[in-house]
Amino acid sequence: MKKPFKKPEPGDKVEITLENGKEIGVLLESHDRGVLLLKLGSGYNLGFKKEDVSEIVVLEKGGVVKVDEEFKISGKKPVIDFILTGGTISSKLDASTGGVKDLTDANELFKLYPEIFELCDVRIKTPFMKASENMDSKDWARIAKLVGKSLNDSSVKGVIVSHGTDFLHYTSSALSFMLGKLNKPVVLTYSQRSSDRGSSDSRLNLICSAHVALSDVAEVSLVGHASSDDDYCYVLRGTKVRKMHTSRRDTFRPVNCKPLAKVWGDGKMEVVSEYNKRGKGKIEVDSLFDDRVALMKFYPGQSPKILDYYRKNYRGIVVEMSGLGHVITEGKNNWLPKLKEVIGKGLFVYAVPQTLYGRLDPYVYSAGRKLQDVGVVFLNDILPETGLVKLGWVLGHKMWRGSVATKRKMLENVSGEFNDRLGFEDWVC
Amino acid sequence: MSVKIKSGLEIHQQLETHKLFCNCPSVLRNDEPEFEVSRKLHAVAGESGEIDVAAKHEAELDKKFVYQGYGTTCLVELDEEPPHLINQEALQTTLHIALLLNCEIMSIAQIMRKTVVDGSNTSGFQRTVLIARNGYVETSLGKVGINALLLEEDSARPVNDDGDLKIYKLDRLGVPLVEIATEPDIKSAEHAKETALLIGDILRSCKVKRGIGTIRQDVNISIPGHPRIEIKGFQDPKMMIKTVEVEVERQEKNLKSGKDLKSEVRGALPDGSSKFQRPMPGASRMYPETDLPLLRISRDIINDAKRTLPKLRSEINEELRKTGLSENMVKAILKENKVEEFKALLVIIDEPVFVAQVMIELPREIGAHESVEDINKVLTMDIIESVLQAVNGKKISRSDVKHVMEEIVKGKSFDEAVKIEKVGVGEIESYVAKLIKEKPGLSVGGYMGLVMKEFKGKVGGKDVGEVLGKLMK
Repeated sequence: MKKPFKKPEPGDKVEITLENGKEIGVLLESHDRGVLLLKLGSGYNLGFKKEDVSEIVVLEKGGVVKVDEEFKISGKKPVIDFILTGGTISSKLDASTGGVKDLTDANELFKLYPEIFELCDVRIKTPFMKASENMDSKDWARIAKLVGKSLNDSSVKGVIVSHGTDFLHYTSSALSFMLGKLNKPVVLTYSQRSSDRGSSDSRLNLICSAHVALSDVAEVSLVGHASSDDDYCYVLRGTKVRKMHTSRRDTFRPVNCKPLAKVWGDGKMEVVSEYNKRGKGKIEVDSLFDDRVALMKFYPGQSPKILDYYRKNYRGIVVEMSGLGHVITEGKNNWLPKLKEVIGKGLFVYAVPQTLYGRLDPYVYSAGRKLQDVGVVFLNDILPETGLVKLGWVLGHKMWRGSVATKRKMLENVSGEFNDRLGFEDWVC
Repeated sequence: MSVKIKSGLEIHQQLETHKLFCNCPSVLRNDEPEFEVSRKLHAVAGESGEIDVAAKHEAELDKKFVYQGYGTTCLVELDEEPPHLINQEALQTTLHIALLLNCEIMSIAQIMRKTVVDGSNTSGFQRTVLIARNGYVETSLGKVGINALLLEEDSARPVNDDGDLKIYKLDRLGVPLVEIATEPDIKSAEHAKETALLIGDILRSCKVKRGIGTIRQDVNISIPGHPRIEIKGFQDPKMMIKTVEVEVERQEKNLKSGKDLKSEVRGALPDGSSKFQRPMPGASRMYPETDLPLLRISRDIINDAKRTLPKLRSEINEELRKTGLSENMVKAILKENKVEEFKALLVIIDEPVFVAQVMIELPREIGAHESVEDINKVLTMDIIESVLQAVNGKKISRSDVKHVMEEIVKGKSFDEAVKIEKVGVGEIESYVAKLIKEKPGLSVGGYMGLVMKEFKGKVGGKDVGEVLGKLMK
């Protein structure tokens, strides 16, 4: 390949020379190193093997995208602090280069989601930009501290946190425990369809989130599509919500409870469950966390030897058990002796329902009673992910360490993680 | 027409495969929908940061859309699941069309999203990919260039447009659609029609859907000094000439009026006129489908398409005529789309006229006589094959074929129908002798007719002929 007179960059209009002619187009970013990608005048993109390109000449350098509309803080509308942490909702395809970039610029957000800027004055904060599967407990603590600052700022009416969907329910659990009893709404939201599409779910999710952030629902809640329709959103309790579908808009479902409320794009709200109301006081962020906790799933025929590994490396584990709360309690893979041994050596073992829906009960079958006898603690109707986050948070505190104190705190309903009255309708919906 | 026009065609043809980006069947449903989903679409900024003028025009209408679905649609059509990899069968058919249109096939293409916010796509865009370009068709006025051959997903089917609420069916959304755009090489309205028919012939020789709504044609027209106008929605190529003429007149008037003229899309009306639909969309409505990898069309895939390349209907026509079939017979075979079956049957008995009779004529005749609605469902290709095998194996004679088929139509199984009670030569002789005595002086043909009528399918013409020859001496 001859050395071009200017180094071509994505976004530049170039002319390339191929064996059988020339091609003119805008150079795009290509995920495939061997492929040179061009956007033709017609708008279609074509790829060319780099080895087939003998020359690239830059005809015109790429222009800077002009922003024609600027949003302004009015100073008159209620203030919402909008914390961006990454995920589909705050990323944008840059079609001029073909790459995906994070949306951290308020002007760009304004262009994508003008409705919420009409409703309130939005202050953007970006502690980091991460896909949610890359987050850990330190990120939860950072978000918690940032949210805490906003909650204790008297000029702020409510907080919205936008987040990737995959592990959003872990973060919502963590914030529920770390922020304690709230004075203002903290709303987590997401999108399953990227904002470049006319069909993106982010518009309805965001406008509904803004309505909830301005409401009196002082809870850590997750707001998103209630169904596949662009009709209304659910307001879901942060500790009792789970991503249940890889791609649907209405992926987040309340588990073992009803939604807190329904909210429409025009601000209409319908309360479904009791919630903590907006108050005047300040809050204290309690973001201590011990990472030496693990979540595991029990499966048929599983050897209990795996518990040795956990005892060596962890302080507590949450086990997704079968049915009402069982593991193998007979034969060569009997878990009882091994459980007795590792619990005796200091590992905390908590049982959560693998079925997600319903409550554990150690008394129906003898297996459950035997597990309880060796020291396994049954966490009722808690979600496995919430159980894990809660255990890490509890063990992060010196005052709750020790088998009795830990167990007591784990069984206390700290942030609505337990529902002691499962209703007929608290079922897949 | 005296004025020099610049015109090109855009032809959209549905392919006869499953959907382009999911595994749903491409079937249209007219029964009650099984579920409905309601959505809204928003205008979004394109690559230049500007909202496409056409997209903006549509989104400004702020409509609510309702989508009706069935068990034959899935989450992909609902924009609730990412697209699956492109349908390979649809790709191969597109390559067949590309080869027949003498196009250059792209080796690495990118599937694009074309912003469409009139609600006809749940996603807010239509997926489309440039498969080939720089082709041509030979017409009586020289070559007409093929600018682009695109493979795209068809849109959802509008059910009604009731002010603020638009209802669509999801059944058509995602059906593979080939778009052929010609260069503006078309010189007259008559030439436009000829080109459309030539391309139509190429399409029908490939694996495409047939019938109303499966092919749609748009025309791009401009006279010198006038911006390009696209007229959409012709069902009948016969209306094309009239519409082009009316549009040229309209453009002439426009130029005289001195108005500020813009490119636009217009809808064809049955009387040959057209009405404004929306501004002409620009390139800024196109951006990559990030959920799918680059589409690589390898040498192997192209060679495979070459190997399976169907013959043009005009070539097949020629080929069939050479076998000695009448023009009507050739037409009938093409119309019923049974060229392959016809060839397969020739392997059993290599007599084209007889095979065509058994395959096409007899079923039609029996179907009409017995008032059977779809005779091809009763006299299936399987049965016709068995009948010919029975003739070949001398289980039945050629003159028995009609009788056997009739018995099957009346409800007998094939095995029952071929068990023909044969009448012995002796019995024929005594009947013929009686006839000659009762009705003397008839011709051979006259007696033959009477004998055949008496014994129906139970005697062979040859046997009767021999008996008549002997007794009439």
